[in-house]
Amino acid sequence: MQKQPGFLRQELGRGYNLIFQETWPAWISGIFLAILALILFLWWHTWGVAGGFSNWGQWIYYLLGIDESAPQKGPLLQGMSVSNIGLLVGAFVSALISKQFALQRAPRLEYLKGIVGGALMGIGAALAAGCNVGGFYSALGMLDLGGVMMMLGLFAGAYLGLQYLLWEMENLEQGGAGGESSPKKGGFDWKRAGPYIGGLFFLLILLAFQTYSWLGYTKMGGVLFIGFLIGMVMHRGRFCFANAFREPFMTGDSSMMRGVIISLIIYGFGAAAMKWSFVQPPGAGVYHPFWLGSLGGGLIFGFGMLLAGGCASGSIWRAGEGHLKLWLAVLGFFLLNYPTSRFLDQSGIKEYLGKGIFIPAILTWQGGLVLFILFLLGLFILLRWNEYTEKFVAF
Amino acid sequence: MEELSMNPLEIPCDNFLDARGLTCPIPLLKAKQEIAQMHSGEILELWGTDPKTKNELSVYCKRNNTEFLGYIDTEDGYTKYYIKITWVKN
Repeated sequence: MQKQPGFLRQELGRGYNLIFQETWPAWISGIFLAILALILFLWWHTWGVAGGFSNWGQWIYYLLGIDESAPQKGPLLQGMSVSNIGLLVGAFVSALISKQFALQRAPRLEYLKGIVGGALMGIGAALAAGCNVGGFYSALGMLDLGGVMMMLGLFAGAYLGLQYLLWEMENLEQGGAGGESSPKKGGFDWKRAGPYIGGLFFLLILLAFQTYSWLGYTKMGGVLFIGFLIGMVMHRGRFCFANAFREPFMTGDSSMMRGVIISLIIYGFGAAAMKWSFVQPPGAGVYHPFWLGSLGGGLIFGFGMLLAGGCASGSIWRAGEGHLKLWLAVLGFFLLNYPTSRFLDQSGIKEYLGKGIFIPAILTWQGGLVLFILFLLGLFILLRWNEYTEKFVAF
Repeated sequence: MEELSMNPLEIPCDNFLDARGLTCPIPLLKAKQEIAQMHSGEILELWGTDPKTKNELSVYCKRNNTEFLGYIDTEDGYTKYYIKITWVKN
């Protein structure tokens, strides 16, 4: 009997370390991410990030008096905006609990790259009608052909972005390397207090969920909570789409991209089950401009995310971890995303970018799903082959 | 992701890189470039602030037959990494 408390304590400690201290393998994060994206799809809508940024941009332009009409919904009631806020808080809480939160300053050039990269991501996401999440991850999961095109664009953009970074390292002074992180030598040990502050924020999120419910917006409360869990999962696995698209060209390592592929297989199958059984409409989330918009948008977005050092979702969770550069990336993103979308709409260019194509509508459900799996498995094998041969490694 | 088991003062470093404040992927890119110019047996010391580097460096070293000696978190909020070059150049 004496052993019981010791054993329990040991097990709890081990579990705590495994979940909150150690970095999860990419594929574990990928599986959880797919499950959460599916829960979100069932609860509300497909997961996206750029739509929320667009809402923030719209509000900024309206409040500055540049835009005449106010957006239809406030940031606390627009779904993607709410899930973005959840994601940010989730990453913040996860970073606090794992003692990885620190305000990270960067050399000046890095700040510039953050804002320019964010702006390019905003433009790319406007062209592709979604970012790495809405335009690629969710689009592919929803069996929208635009997702495939954006993926090709993202690979190409990441390759070009990597070439730029190499050029920059050779030719530009990088600010003497070494903006220091936040001084932690005050009397108070923030790192040690992190898990408690994180726990407090977790309670606040639960309270916010309940408040939404009291006000009659249970659905939005759920979106906030699911977004929060997504933020935690992404931070715990350091789940980074920029890494996934860049690494095959940089070191050959494809563990992150393979995590994305595993995630997509689950997401795609789950979404197909919900659509085929009409739990959700088959056309849900199918609106990405095949092929020009998705491909071109992916290219610009991919280049931007290499400059910024994070994609749309990655910028949020890294901002939540305290990277000031990524805060600027988020700012650049939402300042450019909305005006670009509006310009594409008003100029009529949008019509030339393409339209959403639902794969099962062309190939039937059976054929579409088989092709979807074969495509992802083929990509998986190609990436493994590149790991051994380093054929695509740029330098 | 191994924490350093030896006293860092006793590690004879041949090359040094300061990547503090730089975010992913720059620290790894710089390390990769630096490593390419070093010789077998030499040790690289790298300073960084991006938590991502911990994972990336150890994965990179494993894939490239280079020994990741470990890292140590300093009180000033940055991490010191030690890498021993073990491969032989062609």
